[in-house]
Amino acid sequence: MSTLKSVGQRIQRKDARAKLTGTALYPQDIEMENCVYGATVRSEIPHGYFTLDLTEAEKAPGVIRIFTAADVTGHNVHGVLFKDHEVLCARKVRRVGDPIAFVVAETQAQADDACALVKVSYEALPAVFDPKEAMKEGAPQVHDGKDNLIYHYKCRRGDVTKGFADSAVVIEREYVSPFVDHVFLQPESGLAYMEEDKVIVVASTQYPHFDQIEVAEAIGWELEQVVILNPVVGGAFGGREDISMQIHLALATIALGRPVKTTMAREESFYAHSKRHPVFMRLKVGAAEDGKLLALEAELHGDTGAYASWAINVMRKAGVHITGPYEIENVFVDSYSVYTNNPYAGAMRGFGATQVPVAYEQHMDILAEALGMTPYEIRMKNLFRKGSVTANGQVLTESVPLETCLEILNQAMNGGSEAAGLDAASSGTKAVPGSDSAAVQERSVTEHA
Amino acid sequence: MITLNLNVNGKDHRLEIEDHMRLLDVIRGPLGLTGTKEGCGEGECGACTVILDGNAVDSCLVLAAQCEGKKIVTIEGLETADGLDPVQQAFLDNGAVQCGYCIPGMVLSAKALLDKNVAPDDNEIKEAISGNLCRCTGYDKMVKAIKTASEVMQERGEQK
Ligand code: FES
Ligand code: FES
Repeated sequence: MSTLKSVGQRIQRKDARAKLTGTALYPQDIEMENCVYGATVRSEIPHGYFTLDLTEAEKAPGVIRIFTAADVTGHNVHGVLFKDHEVLCARKVRRVGDPIAFVVAETQAQADDACALVKVSYEALPAVFDPKEAMKEGAPQVHDGKDNLIYHYKCRRGDVTKGFADSAVVIEREYVSPFVDHVFLQPESGLAYMEEDKVIVVASTQYPHFDQIEVAEAIGWELEQVVILNPVVGGAFGGREDISMQIHLALATIALGRPVKTTMAREESFYAHSKRHPVFMRLKVGAAEDGKLLALEAELHGDTGAYASWAINVMRKAGVHITGPYEIENVFVDSYSVYTNNPYAGAMRGFGATQVPVAYEQHMDILAEALGMTPYEIRMKNLFRKGSVTANGQVLTESVPLETCLEILNQAMNGGSEAAGLDAASSGTKAVPGSDSAAVQERSVTEHA
Repeated sequence: MITLNLNVNGKDHRLEIEDHMRLLDVIRGPLGLTGTKEGCGEGECGACTVILDGNAVDSCLVLAAQCEGKKIVTIEGLETADGLDPVQQAFLDNGAVQCGYCIPGMVLSAKALLDKNVAPDDNEIKEAISGNLCRCTGYDKMVKAIKTASEVMQERGEQK
């Protein structure tokens, strides 16, 4: 085999030098001449109708213009799957942090100060914060005229009733995974300016091509007239997949003819972007005397908060992964995505596959204990191997090196300490005393060739 | 407005600044050194770290007016005609840079440590960067990079 130029080689990251010398420019580092600054007024209640009084704010020092829903020149919507976000809310807010107005002033401090002078009068509505509650008849409707339940994934395989009846042990438990924020280290910042008949939006984003479509639709311009520039991105982890301030900036620079910039403080960043979906998980698993898993039944409620973002993909993935990497003949899964008035949830590393191990791996340990087995034994008994069929019917024909992985961990931990196991988990074969890592690797290569 | 005299990266500056400005604002604003980052503005993340009279400090927590006559080193001040500082070079070689937003602060915390203690042990390294959050790397390669830099600096010291 000829030597590959990049694969398997130690190559330096292209932008590392600029980042190490301080010359890499993130949006907050870019200043333009004649620039004005924007700040966003956000809702302080989770659910309700509102009216705005801009009189005081408009008179504040340095304020140039305050943009509201009425100033959105195209469609006042955006969203990756459903267009359920408003660029600026028109009459109703659905979560704390919904954008209501965009204040533009000569300096960032003046814009921030003027935000506090925008008077928002709320008519609060009953709110719902629990996805199971939100699915009930008569629950507050987060989006008027639309069901709170937006997605239902079903997986049906074999006969769980029979599987449970045949089981020596059946364990049922509930688990909850919480909201998590990405906390990418660079808070959102962006700027926009005009170049002839084009609007240029500079923002750290995971989706420049998608942003282009969303900005064009919201401002009512042709796609070709919108350019998204993605400079250096200071971390994202899924949190920059949805629009943050791109459309606000485009609207403002088009209206004012001056470059417009906005930078969020850390606290606003928490309000502004998506979170990891909290998932309420009910899991029931039955196993035979020898540890073989015979049936699994699961009900997953994913809280997507006020907006869908990637809720469908996330809860589908959760529904697929709830069986863990284990072969189970009889499976019955329901996975739901539900609107509530919580912060909205979207993409975050793992995308639904990260929440469910909280349930299924604890469950494996509980089952092992009930059967008098070790956590290792019960896993080795049920692991996906090459040729296994997943609950949703995928035949695993390629690399499935889980068995090798667990063997290595087991070797490292046997007669050793928990620390040895952790070390093995992060360092792999290198951590196994006396292990011949080349042999292990070779074995996994032949196995999966 | 007040007048502030600062030595930044070896160069003297005399600046007219507003009383309420943080050291971070002066560095990023009038001095235009945007390599120093703001991640939280409240002393939690360390992205704004600079070296102030030899000590790594969060420049978002230092009032600029407190810095009269002081010596400051920012990330822009590390590279010399001879090339990158050993800490920068080691971060590059060890693949310790990802999104980069924590990097200036992280490098300066490491530099401040090595300037005082050229042969720190693992715990001393971890303590020195404990005020610098990184969301991307998991710190492992950074610790390795700082050890590499320590070795390089010791070798150079012996040669001198
Ligand atoms: S910005 Fe100074 S510690 Fe985070
Ligand atoms: S490299 Fe991204 S925060 Fe450290």
